[in-house]
Order: sequence, then C-alpha cells, then structure tokens
Amino acid sequence: MDLAAQVANGFAVALTPINLLYCFIGVFIGTLVGVLPGIGPISAMSLLLPVTLSGTPESGIIMMAGIYYGSMYGGSTTSILVNIPGEATSVVTCLDGHQMAKQGRAGPALGMAAFASFIAGTASVVGLMVIAPYLARFAVAFGPAEMFSLMILGLVIVTFLTQGSMLKSLLMASAGVVLGLIGLDSITAQPRLTFGRIELYDGIGLVPVVMGLFGVAEVLTNIEQGIKRTVSTTKISNLLPSSEDWQRSRGPIRRGTALGFFLGIIPGGGAVIAAFASYALEKRISKTPEQFGKGAIEGVAGPEAANNAAAGGAFIPLLTLGIPPNVVMALLLGAFVIHNIQPGPLLMVQRPDLFWGVITSMYIGNVMLLVLNLPLIGMWVQLLRLPYNILFPMILLFTVIGVFASSNNIFDLYVMIAFGIIGYLTRKLGYEAAPLVLAFVLGAIMENKLRTALIISAGDLTTFVTKPISAICLGIAAIMLLMPLIPFLRRKREQVAIEDGQN
Amino acid sequence: MKSSGFRVNNAELWGGAIWFAVSLFVLEQGRRLGLGTVNAPGMGFMMFWLGIVMAGLSLGVAAQSIRSEGPSIRALWAGTRWVKTLIVIVAFVLYAYAFTQLGFLLSTIPLMLVLLRAIDPVRWVIALPLAFGAPLLIWWVLERVLQIQLPTGVFEIG
Repeated sequence: MDLAAQVANGFAVALTPINLLYCFIGVFIGTLVGVLPGIGPISAMSLLLPVTLSGTPESGIIMMAGIYYGSMYGGSTTSILVNIPGEATSVVTCLDGHQMAKQGRAGPALGMAAFASFIAGTASVVGLMVIAPYLARFAVAFGPAEMFSLMILGLVIVTFLTQGSMLKSLLMASAGVVLGLIGLDSITAQPRLTFGRIELYDGIGLVPVVMGLFGVAEVLTNIEQGIKRTVSTTKISNLLPSSEDWQRSRGPIRRGTALGFFLGIIPGGGAVIAAFASYALEKRISKTPEQFGKGAIEGVAGPEAANNAAAGGAFIPLLTLGIPPNVVMALLLGAFVIHNIQPGPLLMVQRPDLFWGVITSMYIGNVMLLVLNLPLIGMWVQLLRLPYNILFPMILLFTVIGVFASSNNIFDLYVMIAFGIIGYLTRKLGYEAAPLVLAFVLGAIMENKLRTALIISAGDLTTFVTKPISAICLGIAAIMLLMPLIPFLRRKREQVAIEDGQN
Repeated sequence: MKSSGFRVNNAELWGGAIWFAVSLFVLEQGRRLGLGTVNAPGMGFMMFWLGIVMAGLSLGVAAQSIRSEGPSIRALWAGTRWVKTLIVIVAFVLYAYAFTQLGFLLSTIPLMLVLLRAIDPVRWVIALPLAFGAPLLIWWVLERVLQIQLPTGVFEIG
C-alpha cells in the first residue's frame, strides 16, 4: 500500500466519532495542564493511563498523544500573560511573550504562539509520516547489540541534559534500571527482588512510580514553598498578528520547525532544548538581537514552533524503534504495553490502523488546538485564577484514583506514596527524577538485549563495538560522559542543562 | 549556610552514603541471583555490574561533597514549611491504610477535609462542598460509568 492509501486509512480511523472524542479530550486536557503551572503532561498522562484501558488501543493512544502536544500549546498562555511558564518548554516564551503583553500586545503574542504551534505541529506530522516508514524499514536491521547501545545513548543524553550534577543523574538512571529489573526475569521467568510479594512478580507499576515521583513529589515541594500566584489583568484584544508580525515570524517558524523536529527525534533531546536552541539561533542570526528580551515576536514564534515540532519528532523513535526518547514517550510506551502492543519496526506492518490512525489524529488534534487556543483564550485565563490550595487536594485525589484504577490494587497506593517521598527527598538533594523514569521503562528491555547480544555472540564483548551503529552510539555516549570532566565543556553543559519533563 | 571540607551534617555526604548502601545491596542481590558467564549471563549479571557502577558513582558524589561546598541537612529545610509537607505525608499514609479498612468514601472525604483545611485553609463554605462533592462525583463516575469497583470497607459504604 502506498503512502496516500495508508494516510487515507489513518484518517478513516482517526475520524470515527469515538476517536474524535478521545482526541478532543486529549488536546483539551493537554491545554488545561499546559495552562496550569504545577501540573504537566507527565502527571496528566499518568492519571489517564488507566482510562486508556476502557477503550480501544487507538482511542487511548490518540488521547495520550493529544495530551502531550496539547500541553505544548497551553504552556505558552501562562508564559505570555503571567510570566510563569506553564511548562518547561515555554520558559523561553516568557522572555519576549510577556514583554509583548506588557506593551499591550498580548493578543498578537498569543495568536502567533498558537499559529506557530499549529504550523510546526502540522509540519512535524508530515515529517513523521514521511520519515517513519523509511526508518521503520531501516530499524529492522537493528539487532540486540544496536538496540542496547541506542538505549545506553538515550539514557546518557537524558542524564547529560538534566540539570545539576551528572553523577547524580547517572545514579538515578542506574537506580531506574534496577527498579525496572524487579519482577520475573524475561529469559528464565524466575522472580527477582520480589521478596516473596506476589504483587511484585509483574514488576513495579509505571503509573504509581511516575505519579509518586512527579505528581505527589511536585505537590509536596509546592506545599513546602507555599506557591502563590498573581494573575495579570492584561487586556487581550485582536489575537491576529499583523502582516509585519507575520513577515518577521516566517523565518523563525521555518527554522524552529526544522530544528525542533530533528532535536525531537534524538533520544534524550526534546521540546525543552528545542525551544532554547531556536531562541539562541534566532537571536544569533537576527539583525536586531538587542530587541530580544524586549518583546521581539521572533522570540515567541521560533521557540513555540520548535517545541511543537519536537513533540511530533519524538514519536519517531517510539513508533519505529520502540524506544521512548523521553519520559512522556515512555508513558506512551506504557499505554501501548497495557494493550499488549509492542511499538517498533513491525508496528506499521502488524497494526497499520493504529500506526496511521495515531499519526493522522495529530492533524485533527492540531486543528482542534487552534480552535481551543484562540477563541477560548478567555476561559484559560480564568483557570489561572484557581488557587493552589484548592488545586493541590484535587491533584492528590486524582493521583490516588489514577493509581488505584490502573491496577485495583492497594499495594500500588503504597508504592506511589513511597515514590512520592523518595521524589521529594531526591529533589531536595538535587537529584532529578527524569533519568530514573526513562531508565525504569528501558531497564528490562536493556537487560534482555544485553544478555541476548552476549548469548548470540557467544560471549564476545566486542560485538558492541564491531557493529557500526552500536559503535557510533556507544562512542557518542562515551564522549558525553567524558565532557563534564573538561571544565570548559562542563560550563557549556550547565548552560544547556534543562529540567526536561519536570513540569 | 554552605561551607567546604568534611562535615558530618553535610547533606550531600549523607546522600552519597545512602546511595553507597543501596549499591552494595544491589551488588549483593546480583551476586545471589547468579552472574552466569559472559556467553550465558545469569539473572543477576546486569544487576551485579550496575551495583558496581552505582558504588563508584556514589563514592564520587561523597567525594565531591567533601571537596566542594554542600548544604547542611538543616539548611535544606531552613525557611520552608516542612511541617505542612509532613502533615500531607502522614495524612496520605493514614489514608492508604484507611482506604481498604473504611472504604473509598469514608477515607477520602476526611483526607480532602484535612488537605483543604490544614495546609492553606480554604473557607469552610468552599471546603465542605469540595470535600464531599469531589469524592462522590469520582465514586459515581468510577462505579457507575466506568464500572471500576472501589473498596467499600468494613461498613460497606460506597
């Protein structure tokens, strides 16, 4: 079947009333959590992971994907209006977006953020459609050694890009792998680290771990600091950018889309670094760099395009290799696994309806987001007035329900509380949770690939460096691990270090 | 509150020490599970080597804490509302215990009241409807719409 037929098949799936409804719920919740600081796509996706069980795999995954790219749209609203990024991806939008709002240009800033997001989001879906099938064919050539090395590279990139000490990030990633190994061994089916608890035979659940580390820990931290928000009374009028705004934004949107898309594909990269990179690029090539930070529309258009394009690009490694490049995609992998579906090179052959249905739903989702984010902007602004002392008990209530509904097991509630406390304490000591979660998801797969590669090669460890793809991945990972040892490069790392997936 | 050199109350040092203990545990579990051979790795192969890597990293963290600056344990909580955090943690642990004993509704409503009133008090006129309304609505959606059974507890309410 050619590409056009596949796309038509995908639209037939995505346009069914039930999938349209799930897509709408996804992008609506995505925008909602994007707007609200303190709760992000990770918490929302963890909460709704159990809900995916109640429908078909297509519906559930369409909704989860919608939450992710929807949150990219919503995050810019708070950045522009109240100078608080709704998401880590919208930190850069604060710089010029809020300045524009202060100058009475909140409307064009919000409008441009929505249009840039729409254009980039749609373009990245086209890129995903074109590249994914080719990469899937190429990915079949990936053996256990290549897969293992690629996962090592992904983990190293995440630890490299995480804020703070790399030693600490590596420790968290190692702990994540160990946690991922709990349960029945994938080769011998013998229990490991279960301590006689039957609940642990299937391993620790992803939902309670993520809910604890991100949802509960976030609430505990916020309570301790006593979050107080003041909402700007900025008047919003005329959301449509002028022709001059469009002229200035055309280039940044184009460059931001391309940059974001490719940074999104790289394991460990993602929307946050894409937004930062786009802002840096635009400032560097601008004829008027002094205007950046003082309300330059290029500083809104470029990063907003980049973070949305990256959200689309991030689907490529998951759908074609079965490897989640970031924590959000790890949760999406969880949604696939819940339905006994293994994403990877064979997905588009075995489940073309699901593969193309999810991709084409993103076109529809992007259109829905444009409608949600322009005419309904007033409603989102009202939501910003919801005080945190009302919001946090609701968040905690939803985490409890989410965890219990996912397994119907009280044990998971204890797991969530334990990880909530662990997450709170590790944050205090400057340990980021993102590497742990990604490693937790990859842990069992990594171990299986390592052992399989060693069995196939009859114990020849050089198999990891004699295969070109594996050697390249390990080489890059080694360079990244050594970089912090060089003072100049360490400073550079600290500049680009990000707190990916925290919000 | 930061100072360099060896200090017993250095939070980073304690962090490194805890991680070191965890890594020894992982290493020992790996050894017990069986390392196997390189051409037929056992169940504990990866865990054992991860334990060694973690031990090295935790020693690195501890060494870094002695060499460079690190906050004291007290400084981590100085000027924060840690009592409020503690209240939420204790309430949550008690809630998990009460969840099966008392059932979803009888345990969740008091939890909501505690969270709404004990941290940053919400006015009763808002707190009461929210504490009763939200759990009831969720109970209705889960039990009646999604057919997900929630614990009813010894009183079989819900």
